[in-house]
Amino acid sequence: MSFEEQADEIEHTILDGKPFFSRPAGKIFIIWLVFTVIGLLLSFYLPHHILPTLMASTGTDVFRTVVVFSVLAAPVAAFVYAVAVYSLIAWRHKGNQDEPPEDGPPLRGNGPMTVLWLTVSSVLVVVLLVWGLAVWSSQQVSHPNTLQVNVTGQQWLWTFSYPGTGVESRTLMLPVNRPVEFNVTSVDVTHGFWPVSLGTQVDANPGEVTVIRTTPNKLGGFTVRCSQLCGLYHAFMYASGAVVTPTQFSTWLQSQGASATQASQTAQTTPTNS
Amino acid sequence: MTTDVAPRLLEDTPLGSKAGGFYQRQNFLTGLGFGILLAFLGWLISHATLQGSNWGSDMVVTVTMACWVIGFNVGMGTFNAPIRWALGHDQSHEDELYSAGVGQGNKRYWKFCTDHKVIGTQYLVLVFVLFGVGGALAMMIRTQLITPHSSFLDPNTYNSIVTIHGMVMIIATIIMVTGPFTNFIMPIMIGAKDMAFPRLNAMSFWVVVSAVPCLLATFFLGGVDAGWTTYAPLSVQAPPAMDAFALTIITFVVSVTVAGVNTIVTLITMRAKGMTMGRLPIFTWGSMIGSALGLYAMPAFLLVMTMMITDRAVGTSFFVAAQGGSGWLYENIFWIMGHPEVYVILLPPVAAMLEVGSTFARKPVFAYKVVVASFVAIAALSIMVWAHHMFTTGWAPDLAGPFMLTTELISIPTGIIFLSVIGTLWKGSIWTRLPMYFVYLFLWNFIIGGVTGIYLSDVPADQFFHGDMFVTAHFHYTLLGGAMIAATAALCYWFPKISGKMLNERIGKTAFWIIAIGIQITYIGMFWEGFQGMPRRVAYYDPIFLRSNQMATGGAYLLMIGWVVLLYAIIHSWRNGKPAPANPWHAKSLEWKVPTPVPLENFLVDPVVTSDPYTYGEQVPDGQNEPRATPEPELVPAGSGEQSDTGGQV
Repeated sequence: MSFEEQADEIEHTILDGKPFFSRPAGKIFIIWLVFTVIGLLLSFYLPHHILPTLMASTGTDVFRTVVVFSVLAAPVAAFVYAVAVYSLIAWRHKGNQDEPPEDGPPLRGNGPMTVLWLTVSSVLVVVLLVWGLAVWSSQQVSHPNTLQVNVTGQQWLWTFSYPGTGVESRTLMLPVNRPVEFNVTSVDVTHGFWPVSLGTQVDANPGEVTVIRTTPNKLGGFTVRCSQLCGLYHAFMYASGAVVTPTQFSTWLQSQGASATQASQTAQTTPTNS
Repeated sequence: MTTDVAPRLLEDTPLGSKAGGFYQRQNFLTGLGFGILLAFLGWLISHATLQGSNWGSDMVVTVTMACWVIGFNVGMGTFNAPIRWALGHDQSHEDELYSAGVGQGNKRYWKFCTDHKVIGTQYLVLVFVLFGVGGALAMMIRTQLITPHSSFLDPNTYNSIVTIHGMVMIIATIIMVTGPFTNFIMPIMIGAKDMAFPRLNAMSFWVVVSAVPCLLATFFLGGVDAGWTTYAPLSVQAPPAMDAFALTIITFVVSVTVAGVNTIVTLITMRAKGMTMGRLPIFTWGSMIGSALGLYAMPAFLLVMTMMITDRAVGTSFFVAAQGGSGWLYENIFWIMGHPEVYVILLPPVAAMLEVGSTFARKPVFAYKVVVASFVAIAALSIMVWAHHMFTTGWAPDLAGPFMLTTELISIPTGIIFLSVIGTLWKGSIWTRLPMYFVYLFLWNFIIGGVTGIYLSDVPADQFFHGDMFVTAHFHYTLLGGAMIAATAALCYWFPKISGKMLNERIGKTAFWIIAIGIQITYIGMFWEGFQGMPRRVAYYDPIFLRSNQMATGGAYLLMIGWVVLLYAIIHSWRNGKPAPANPWHAKSLEWKVPTPVPLENFLVDPVVTSDPYTYGEQVPDGQNEPRATPEPELVPAGSGEQSDTGGQV
């Protein structure tokens, strides 16, 4: 068969002489496009409206990850939905439902399509993985001037202590824009230390100290919840927290019994002459 | 005396033990009686001797529950054959016929019956019962959560209900396809007369039945307040209900292991002539790989629950930090079971759903071999992803990267399932009967379940979502919206073969729409809760989560109505439905070539298989296209010579 004949045949069998948008692939493309646009709009719109206000570097990471992953997933999900919807519109058997329709074409597989599918999903996995690893490793860097906070969980309350100040509190106060390291442990069963709006969490395990880092970057209040079922009053195991200015933080430390020097050193403010 | 060629059931036994006797008087009631009797004796003795000691009540509960399980199975007749063997006897011919349920009518469903079709039906009813219990508990959870501080349940009851809802549903979903359909349909599909080990098959059923009362007994023993994951050390401190919980799981693992071995051996050794591995229907591949994965995963569950019992009853302190143990040890062993387990649940229904898709699109399963390879890849990868459940436990932070890799890799073979479904739909003749509705619903739900899984696979994002309602919504979309909906497709598909009646599609489709909408409202509500930051497993919550909780609860009620309507359709059709022809869907696999109801041993003449069951549209007129070397299967159906396949004619 000559090249021209082959090209002819391709045009007749594959292109079928019709314009792209009147063939199944073209119609599916249009449905796919519509679904993808809807998916992308949701990806940008929803996270703003249903996530709480995220107040720390790790929270920003969560927000960006949700948006990026949604954007990547939208076209894939839209493709599956587009084919499914089109199959119901165009290929549905409309006659007598008691008898089976004529058989479809014996398509047992399609090598190039399978390879394409595998390639696209592999590329997506690599993108997800690189994104995740980059964000995760950026969270592991320990900064100088890190504020240390010791967190202790017990049935069913949280205690926060600030080494070097003698302050122990049921409230978690953090100065804004200062890296913080939580050293988390438990005195009884496993709890989950989850300062929700900071976008990070780690379990409080008895006999172990686990560490997470973040940097609060917005002023405001937040709630610390327990994310691990810990017995009878698990639902009531929460504490309030706030991100405040360094001066407010220092004042708060003093109000909790720290000396002026300890407070200013821990809060890294110049001592006020009082 | 025997000859070499005699069929098994006609063979006389060498030692010729007498038929009948006690054997024929055993049924569910004697099982119940023996179980209660032995449990009472066990309680009496252990209570008298152990109650005063340090861990007395834990030992008493363990001994009592173990006695119940053993007593029930002795009373049922589970151990008859091995006991006779040990005594130097064998089953007589009459015994074997009796065990197979010959001439006992519907009474055989209450007996230790070795017919795989009876066992499949028994499993189906058990699955309905378990879903009923689990669903009722779910409704109680959602009712509690209508308002932030509801007084409907006290916190301990609430936590116990959360635990038992989880465990009942895990047990139900593990057996929902491998129980009814792998037992009933799979041997016929491959041209076998029964499973490889019929008595072990019956044993797997009655052992899991005996596990259920132990699980429900937890409510009367103080409740298990630790969630279905029962993380240590909380569970080590839990009331004696935890011992009953652990014993339930140990018993269940015995059942699943026995059933899994049986499935695999059957598929390897019992295939009819010409049923090569490459011609196996895709459902049997899903059953085989799911079962094999179960054999890897479930022993870890048995191990960790045994350690739990010894921690509680004899003070081994494997998981107690204060005495040198570690909660992380528990979490690791648990999830080494727990992650493969979700694919033990998922693979069989997905494979069954692919059968349904092929039949109702009138096309072969798209990319059959790639799908089988992807099942294998999913199984292999799923044993290496367990620590993604532990990203935020603080255990081994350096392993976050590797486990993120394996977790995200698993989306590649899982994606092949979507490729296969949409490839099967492509240019098909979509016959929208009830089973096909559920295939489309599966596609819709499983995409949502899959996409939300990638947020959780990412460690930084998981640091927000872990332990919150987002996770709950995600796994309900995959396990209910995906696996259970696929299993429902399979149920509607095989219902005519199992019950002998056509399922009422008008009621069925009503149920479908209620279920479909109920799922979306319920679990989108839960996603909303999760995005807002509501923790899982809380009996009370911050009023900021009110709207999302009301949405989820409203959806859950709707969902329950949908399931009840479907159950009504099933029961109504089973009793009063139109009799089903042998092959109502004009499908091509072997289970549709035998008469309905299926006779004992399925085939009177062994079938010979000449192609796989996906020859839709393959009678190509000569000259145009090179025909495949796969003519229609030349089958000799059992006692139904007049039934020929007409579905594939072009």
